[in-house]
Amino acid sequence: MLFRFKLLALTGAVAFCAGAFAADPIKIGVDGPFTGGSSSMGVSMRDGVRLATEEINKSGGVLGRQIQLVERDDEAKNERGVQIAQEFINKEKVVAVVGYINTGVALASQRFFQEAKIPVLNNVATGSIITHQFDKEPENYVFRNAAHDSIQAPMIVEEAVTRRGFKKVAILADSTNYGQLGREDLEKALKAKGITPVAVEKFNIKDVDMTAQLLKAKEAGAEAVLTYGIGPELAQIANGMTKLGWKVPMVGSWTLSMANFIDNAGPGGDGARMPQTFIQEPTTPKRKAFIASYLGSFKPKNNRIDSPVSAAQGYDSIYLLAAAIKQANSTEGPKILAALEDLKTPVEGVVTTYTKPFAKGDHDAITANIPVFGEVKGGRVNYANADDMKKAATVQLKNNAANDALLKP
Amino acid sequence: MQILTQLIFSGIALGMIYAVIAFGYQLTFATSDTLNFGQGDALMLGALVGLTLVTLGVNYWLMIPLVCLFGAVQGAVVERIGVRPAIKIKSEFGWIMSTIALGIIFKNVAENVWGRDDLKFPSPLPEAPIKFLNANVLPMEILVVVGAILMMLAVELFNRRSIYGKAVVATFNDRDAAKLMGINTGLVITFSYALSSLTAAFAGVLIAPLTLTGATMGAVLGLKAFAVAIIGGLTSGMGIILGGIILGIAETTTGFYLSTGYKDVPGLVLLLIVLAVRPAGLFGKTAIKKV
Repeated sequence: MLFRFKLLALTGAVAFCAGAFAADPIKIGVDGPFTGGSSSMGVSMRDGVRLATEEINKSGGVLGRQIQLVERDDEAKNERGVQIAQEFINKEKVVAVVGYINTGVALASQRFFQEAKIPVLNNVATGSIITHQFDKEPENYVFRNAAHDSIQAPMIVEEAVTRRGFKKVAILADSTNYGQLGREDLEKALKAKGITPVAVEKFNIKDVDMTAQLLKAKEAGAEAVLTYGIGPELAQIANGMTKLGWKVPMVGSWTLSMANFIDNAGPGGDGARMPQTFIQEPTTPKRKAFIASYLGSFKPKNNRIDSPVSAAQGYDSIYLLAAAIKQANSTEGPKILAALEDLKTPVEGVVTTYTKPFAKGDHDAITANIPVFGEVKGGRVNYANADDMKKAATVQLKNNAANDALLKP
Repeated sequence: MQILTQLIFSGIALGMIYAVIAFGYQLTFATSDTLNFGQGDALMLGALVGLTLVTLGVNYWLMIPLVCLFGAVQGAVVERIGVRPAIKIKSEFGWIMSTIALGIIFKNVAENVWGRDDLKFPSPLPEAPIKFLNANVLPMEILVVVGAILMMLAVELFNRRSIYGKAVVATFNDRDAAKLMGINTGLVITFSYALSSLTAAFAGVLIAPLTLTGATMGAVLGLKAFAVAIIGGLTSGMGIILGGIILGIAETTTGFYLSTGYKDVPGLVLLLIVLAVRPAGLFGKTAIKKV
């Protein structure tokens, strides 16, 4: 009996040591819509995340430990996001979370991570408020490496009004939070230029007919249509324009680069322009390597990444997080937070090289000088301005002055 | 004037999309006093099966009969599993829950088979608009209008002229008496469900090139079609067409003259008025229910 007890104690001790030596993997939660209307963004983001994780694990992981991803599909539903957040915190005990495509899901979920002191790196969702939800609290656990709406809207206006000289513009936005918050941002940015939109129209998700909205814009003499919506309905707008035989340029938020807009609008979508943090062109060695290994690993149709922006930002988010964990030399939330707010070494990503991407009170890594304008042409997104493509080899670094310059009239 | 014609044309096209779906509600109501609340999902399944056939290389026009066949089988399954047990025990509400449940199951199956993304249905006709009375119309919209009217005429003719159609009408008039006269009313009801899903599947492939195709396409359209069925009257095929056109034009004109934010309101207000003033619908026959 005594012998047995000793044996048990021994095996117990051995098991404990083995557990400590083999180093548990670092668990990172990945949340996004992998099915449904925004799945082209969610899946591209997830694939970018997987790619970065694989590379890091191959070269030895972080702190000598491998990264293990816990992927969950939120179906773009707020309530699913909340369930997943609780699962990540209580069951999976993740160290940090990357992901979130839909602003609503991000806002509903991140309060749980804030309470649990687990850092969240939003890599796609663009709602301006996301990184400011906990501004009043002493520590804010929400970060982002995507171009937020408060810079996208002025960029859209800059492109349509200043660069292309359209003075009469119409706004078409969907009736969701995303569309209506974007519409407000657009109206504000237009006002700063002294312009009132000639028509401001709304449409619902799943609307099949855009005649009324487009006719109003047409009758008001709009020279361009500014959009804030998601792929399928944007495609209905492009199709509606073809039907009415009224073709004016569409300039809108980055969702105009969604695969389900490009595919469903067909030739009618050609010429649509939108801000993009990354365009699938090998303009730097890093981007070339990223595109090559993405296409090699996931083999998308026609060698087109469904949402290049989401893939690149997803990829970068893991490298940012890995750098922070390494610097913190710990997987505790508050220490990672401190490291993210003060990253010592620059992180070379696909979108940009992140030098001091975050600071206390500034949790957005992307500033207005980083995105360029993309244009839909022949079923893919290209550089809208040839100049941008030439300049693309020089990586734009974060510059808060660019935001100020854009936001001041 | 040109704008008004454009709005009316687009409204008619939109209304006919609603009407072809609403027509299916009317078919089952006529025989069994029940409705298939999964009508929108039958439409979606038809469109997705059609899309698969088209991508496999089947010609659009050849694909239509195959999709109709699929729709008929699907409708018969719904009736056997969901509706018949409820009718048998004379349950007033059982069929509501079971058709909704089957609709949700079909939607989930479709999500797993075809994914949840909206797909493009290749248009069998040129996508360039045609000028007609100073307004633009898509060839596909004309096809929807013509197709819908032909389909309804065919069903009406069948009901009025053929012996089988007379059995359907007899079942509608008095189910028990029809049964005593030797009509297999159970079979007639199954048949009406098959026919109703057949029209839904046909409507699906007809409208898919205009609306985008995906597992969730049936939800909003099915609901709008239900409103059309109520406005037009559940007992009248003609009423359904007019109801659809009324709702379609109400949507496009309010969108333009009032506000696009309120474009769904007048149609639904009309629905409320119709329910209050003429519960049988604008063109429906008022039936006295003996209790």
